[in-house]
Amino acid sequence: MGDDPDRRKFLKVATCALGGGAGLVIAAPVVRLVLDPASKQTVTSPKDPLDAGDASRFVLGAPPTRVEIVAPVVQDAWTSARDVVLGAAWVRRIGKAPKELDVRSAICPHLGCAIGYDEAKNNYLCPCHDSRFALDGAAQTGPSQRGMDTLPIDVVDGRLKVTWVLYKLGQTKMEPA
Amino acid sequence: MKIAAWLRERAAIGDTKAPMLEGGASFAYVFGKVLVFLLLVEGLTGAALAAFYSPSTTDAWASVAYIQDQSAMGWLVRGVHHHGGGAIVIIAGLHLMQTALAGAYKKPRELVWWLGVLLLLVTIVWAVTGYVLRWDQEGYWANRVEIGIAAETPLIGGAIKSAALGGNDYGNLTLTRFYALHVIVLPAIVFLLTVVHIRLAKAHGVTPVGTKAAAPRWPDQGLRDALAMLVVTVLLLGHVVYNHGVGLTAPADPAESFDARPLWYFRWLYELRELSGSAEKIVALIAPGIVGGFLVMLPMLDKGPAREPRTRKLWLGALAGLFAAIGGLTVMSFRRDSSDDELAKRMEVAEALASKARALAQANGVPVTGALDVYLSSPHAKARAIFAQKCAGCHVDDKERKAPLIIAGHGDRAWIEAFLLDPSGDLFWGRTKLAKDSKKAQELEASKPAPAPDAGSGSAKPDDKKPDDKKPEGPADLAMKPVDFKKGSAELAAIVEYMYALSGATDVDKAKAETGKSIFDSTCNDCHTVVEGANGGSGPNLAGMNGREYYFSFISNPKSNVHMTADMSGMPRFDRELTFAERGLVADYLVFLRTATPAQAAGN
Repeated sequence: MGDDPDRRKFLKVATCALGGGAGLVIAAPVVRLVLDPASKQTVTSPKDPLDAGDASRFVLGAPPTRVEIVAPVVQDAWTSARDVVLGAAWVRRIGKAPKELDVRSAICPHLGCAIGYDEAKNNYLCPCHDSRFALDGAAQTGPSQRGMDTLPIDVVDGRLKVTWVLYKLGQTKMEPA
Repeated sequence: MKIAAWLRERAAIGDTKAPMLEGGASFAYVFGKVLVFLLLVEGLTGAALAAFYSPSTTDAWASVAYIQDQSAMGWLVRGVHHHGGGAIVIIAGLHLMQTALAGAYKKPRELVWWLGVLLLLVTIVWAVTGYVLRWDQEGYWANRVEIGIAAETPLIGGAIKSAALGGNDYGNLTLTRFYALHVIVLPAIVFLLTVVHIRLAKAHGVTPVGTKAAAPRWPDQGLRDALAMLVVTVLLLGHVVYNHGVGLTAPADPAESFDARPLWYFRWLYELRELSGSAEKIVALIAPGIVGGFLVMLPMLDKGPAREPRTRKLWLGALAGLFAAIGGLTVMSFRRDSSDDELAKRMEVAEALASKARALAQANGVPVTGALDVYLSSPHAKARAIFAQKCAGCHVDDKERKAPLIIAGHGDRAWIEAFLLDPSGDLFWGRTKLAKDSKKAQELEASKPAPAPDAGSGSAKPDDKKPDDKKPEGPADLAMKPVDFKKGSAELAAIVEYMYALSGATDVDKAKAETGKSIFDSTCNDCHTVVEGANGGSGPNLAGMNGREYYFSFISNPKSNVHMTADMSGMPRFDRELTFAERGLVADYLVFLRTATPAQAAGN
């Protein structure tokens, strides 16, 4: 091997190119694989209305009832599970007609904690940051920028059907996440 | 270069000169570097796979199937990881041979050699711990055999087994333990051994193979190393793409045997066990001992400073013989398999099961109850399994069948019409005792004057039994006669509609069925009733015919007086053989068959 500096430099560049090329063709698919789930809906959640039981059990004037929203099937990456609890909703009857129900997600619009019912004051309270909501869902005190989120409902054959929606947190406007 | 100088200063590294290679750069020295490169490849691909893999008996197979079939490039990364492990064994073998040829294990480099031999052993164990993680039939059964062999080790065999399995049997702890070994413990050990191995090798310098002037490692040797890495990468990727990565067989099933074969670099040992028959246990212990022992002893056996291969014919020959024997046994093992037609058939069945499981996993996800339940995720899967086991022999299989055919479309309008026109036809009672007796009775009746009139089917098999001509009375003709209506007639269509409505089907033409009912009441009522629970006349009760409850009751006891009675039915009762739930599933499946296509009936 000669000691020509140009030749030496060429050898160095060639070595880096060859070695780098070998590394890159392996690394590229690895990066692609790891990023793959980030661009996918890996946990499915039914878009259809979900059964939330007999609608007539909610009585006018009664305190709000906490109802668990249960999906018949949830596919989570490689598994599929039955009867998965997605979250909870607060249900209150506001009129005599079957569909006159106020159904609100128990997820606090502030930072996503679970809103509870404060029996003493007869309104809603989020325990994490003390956001308080009136019975009709309007924000009263605390950091929440908007009132409790409503969930789309229907009553079919006397059964309450709730469509489960996750909303964006920490903003005034209620929009699906 | 300024950055390099800046960094060197901050890291307190002096201006180092590239070390020189005595005798010049050579391709003979690339193997060590390529091995380091491959170890990095395994680390990189392994980290990506670990971001998906779930080491539990319920999830492991499912997560691997997800990587393989449902994630971008997952098959490629998994393939590189698997075959990269094989590449390490090959390159390590070449590295070892080069070292031996150059006499590089001789004083003072014995430690480097021993560390290398140890690294090879640890790497192979490392691969074994990875093979089981996929928790498919192949990995699971291969591991059972491997652990079985390890358990034959005298004195400590039992301890090895229970430590490896994490208890008394295969389970979650088996996977978590092998996972921990595979991704934490063994990589750490290999890393440490490799660092020491390289440190010592560097300290001693190469054992020169060339006679040229000394050359700097960087870039003269570096270029050769990089070129070799690229060649290995291309070959590895080519192999992976050509084979679409590495296979994934059906989920591990302790109840379903599998022709387990070890990873290819154990095939020589596998063949040796096959060849040694009853001595297999001893051979399995001794053979690796001889190979390992020889490699460890080599620096002590081949003493003296001579490095020229010609002067070391004995030991190099012995080493070559050992490699040749291993290679020969490996070839024999693969040949044995490729000439085994029975094995090929079994592998085909296993292959089909694997594709089915993977397709179901992709379509429906794997139930959280475990990978084996993936088979139950298709509609009526359990009922199909029961049906295949208990019913198909008599009702589907064309050769064995001795009862009405039950396939997709069973009980629909076309089926009812075909039955009414030819109840003793081959598809219906034709192969049963009922039709055979009926035919015999008719022949007896008409024996004297003329040949027997065709009973309608013409395809009923001739009876093997001798005709009972000595007895005055032949069998009674209990079989139903074809209806008197012509094919295509309104009457036939009406009665078909009525019978169809009995099943509880909802797509019924009510007016037509009403007409059918009046025809039924006038022409069929002599033998049949549709009053629920009542005994039939000379024919079965048809209440709810081809509906779920009817099927359930019929399956439970076809010989009931409501149904066929003991005189007419040769079908066994299943109320003792199948549970309540199982009979319900089969009944549901039969109802499902009415509207199913053949593909749906088969669960596809």
